[in-house]
Amino acid sequence: MTSHVLAVTKREFLIRIRSKGFVIGLILFPVLIVAMIALPIWFASMKSEKQHKILVVDFSGEVFPLFRAALRDTTKTGQPLFLLQKREVPETVDVSGLKKELNGLVENKTVEGYLIIPEGIVSPASSEQSPRVEYCSKKVTDFTLIRSLSNALNEAVRILRFRKSGIDPLLVRKLLTPVSLHTFKIAAGKAEEDRGFTFGITYILALSLYMGLILYGVMIMRSVLEEKNNRVVEMIVSSVRPFRLMMGKLMGVGAVGLAQFVFWGLFLLVLMVFKAPLASLFGADESVLPSLPSVSLSVIIFFMVFFVLGFLLYATLYAAIGAMVNSEQDAQQLQTPLILFLIVPIMLMLPIMQRPDSQLAVVLSMIPFFSPIIMFMRISVLMPPVYQIALSILILVLTILAMIWLAGKIYRVGILMYGKKPNLSELLKWIRYG
Amino acid sequence: MDALVLKKVSKSFGDFWAVHDLNLRISEGEIFGLLGPNGAGKTTTLRMIMGIILPDSGDVRIFGRPNDLKTLQQVGYLPEERGLYRRMKVVDVLHFFGELRGMNRKERGEAIERWLERMELSSWANHKVEELSRGMQQKLQFIITVLHQPRLLILDEPFTGLDPVNTALLKDIILELHKTGATIIFSTHLMEQVEKMCDSICLINKGESVLQGSLVDIKKRYGKNTVIMQYSGEARFLVDGHLVDHFDDYGNYVEVYLKPEADPQEFLRQAVSDGVRIQRFELTEPSLNDIFIETVKNEQE
Repeated sequence: MTSHVLAVTKREFLIRIRSKGFVIGLILFPVLIVAMIALPIWFASMKSEKQHKILVVDFSGEVFPLFRAALRDTTKTGQPLFLLQKREVPETVDVSGLKKELNGLVENKTVEGYLIIPEGIVSPASSEQSPRVEYCSKKVTDFTLIRSLSNALNEAVRILRFRKSGIDPLLVRKLLTPVSLHTFKIAAGKAEEDRGFTFGITYILALSLYMGLILYGVMIMRSVLEEKNNRVVEMIVSSVRPFRLMMGKLMGVGAVGLAQFVFWGLFLLVLMVFKAPLASLFGADESVLPSLPSVSLSVIIFFMVFFVLGFLLYATLYAAIGAMVNSEQDAQQLQTPLILFLIVPIMLMLPIMQRPDSQLAVVLSMIPFFSPIIMFMRISVLMPPVYQIALSILILVLTILAMIWLAGKIYRVGILMYGKKPNLSELLKWIRYG
Repeated sequence: MDALVLKKVSKSFGDFWAVHDLNLRISEGEIFGLLGPNGAGKTTTLRMIMGIILPDSGDVRIFGRPNDLKTLQQVGYLPEERGLYRRMKVVDVLHFFGELRGMNRKERGEAIERWLERMELSSWANHKVEELSRGMQQKLQFIITVLHQPRLLILDEPFTGLDPVNTALLKDIILELHKTGATIIFSTHLMEQVEKMCDSICLINKGESVLQGSLVDIKKRYGKNTVIMQYSGEARFLVDGHLVDHFDDYGNYVEVYLKPEADPQEFLRQAVSDGVRIQRFELTEPSLNDIFIETVKNEQE
């Protein structure tokens, strides 16, 4: 009789992995991940080919040479990125007239923009407010360009100010060298530098768990509803017991989810093994490598474990819901509590990741409806004591068995019941009869 | 050997008896008609036979054995309300159900090819079910029912929705299966088909059997007191005659039911004396349709 369950499992599995949507999702996700990692690197390493022609009106009379020296950016071909042109300050200072003239130059594209450095910039009147430097251009959204200008200006003005006060700028630079704090994650006795990556990957994986559990749960529910609505179930239950039919479905759809995550996991693994050649493919040099993700195998394994357990718990309940109703609209209402259960861990993600061994985190990671996501988050951030993981999994497995027993009874009666959805007392009757 | 025996089978939903103390005995090789008006309990009975729902009390035996899954492997059931996996290919659906019934890949492949051919669906094998017309879907469902060569076929309203050509095709196939030894149970209210095909019937109403036996016996019991006649002229003899129980005017001809003690010969004499021209006068058995209506009507009174 197990061959019948396998037939159900096979059908559920094949019909899904053959669907266009599944294949597209399977490929789209890694493409998105690669794009998310590669595009910023690619953009960052992209250098402009064009030089920026900028006019400088220096009212202070002393900033310009240092400013030019501080602008060290180059183009792809190694030429200076900025072509600075000094504009002599006219005798009669009519700023608005000057601006009008310069605007004309920008309009007819003689220059890209102009910079006006005010007179008192080197020796400001108060320590709170430094006189304003103005940069005027048609294009003001190129933040890297504006940042370069701003940095160079600050450097130039500071050097001048130090000199004026009789302080050696080189000494100051030496004294002000910042201290950099590096974070290292110690796992399995080894310390590894972490640049916010643990946080990021935990976030992404927990979110994937959440979405996977909902997605595949609803998939089961739809499958039950389909068989119920088109009455196929009457032709199946004379060959397979309803309980086995339900288990066959759970296994089939669960296998689809697992296949998807295994595929993505393998993809990530390949990405990590070949990250050096891949990075150079996108034009990045060796220096970006340490900031690229690396996930430990144990985290991947626990992800799979908690996906399977979470799936069994939620999909079983979704199967029962599918058997109780006749349409997806009716199901909407019943599945709300399930979604609430799933949202709680996501909402508590921040406090749990900040203090993964707090009482709140420990307690929540023992409650079966939350534990698949919360225990996984804890493991990913800070490996909890083994007995806690074991206890959490034990409670979860016992709950799953109870839910399968309960859902099996509801399912048995429900799939052959048409008409309005049962109220609580009717449901209890189903469970008793089932 | 009996193909199917129901012994005092009852099923209630709440305080309503869907089936009450129903007894049935169907011999192997028979074509049996389970008849009854809408809501009489036909489908509930079939579902209990198929083990889809459990009877409250009573006993169901198929080929002398309880109706567990193993026994049910020898039964093919075509439910009344039909549906299939809409987004699956025809051939995949057939393989799925074949596998459920424990057929191996080779058996399935051969049977599927043969049946698609026989049902004139071969060119649709690789189409999705939703692309098929209703009639074609129904034929596909019939293939699912018979794919595993069941010894007992249970067909709930098999002809509804089929055009005359496909009705004839299906009827031929059912008779073929019958010839190869299959026992067939029809559940229907299309009397014409039953009359042409069934050996015995059971008429149920409100969950209880009201008439049961071989078709020949039942017709004999209802006597030869029905006259089909075609005439021209005024038919006063139909209305005020003391011989006529009631009649059905079909336009082209009238079916007249005489009172049990009435002599058809006297009825003919009266008609002639009334001065109508008679083109046809035929003494016949009552149709199953009439027996059905009559019996159900009497039940209600």
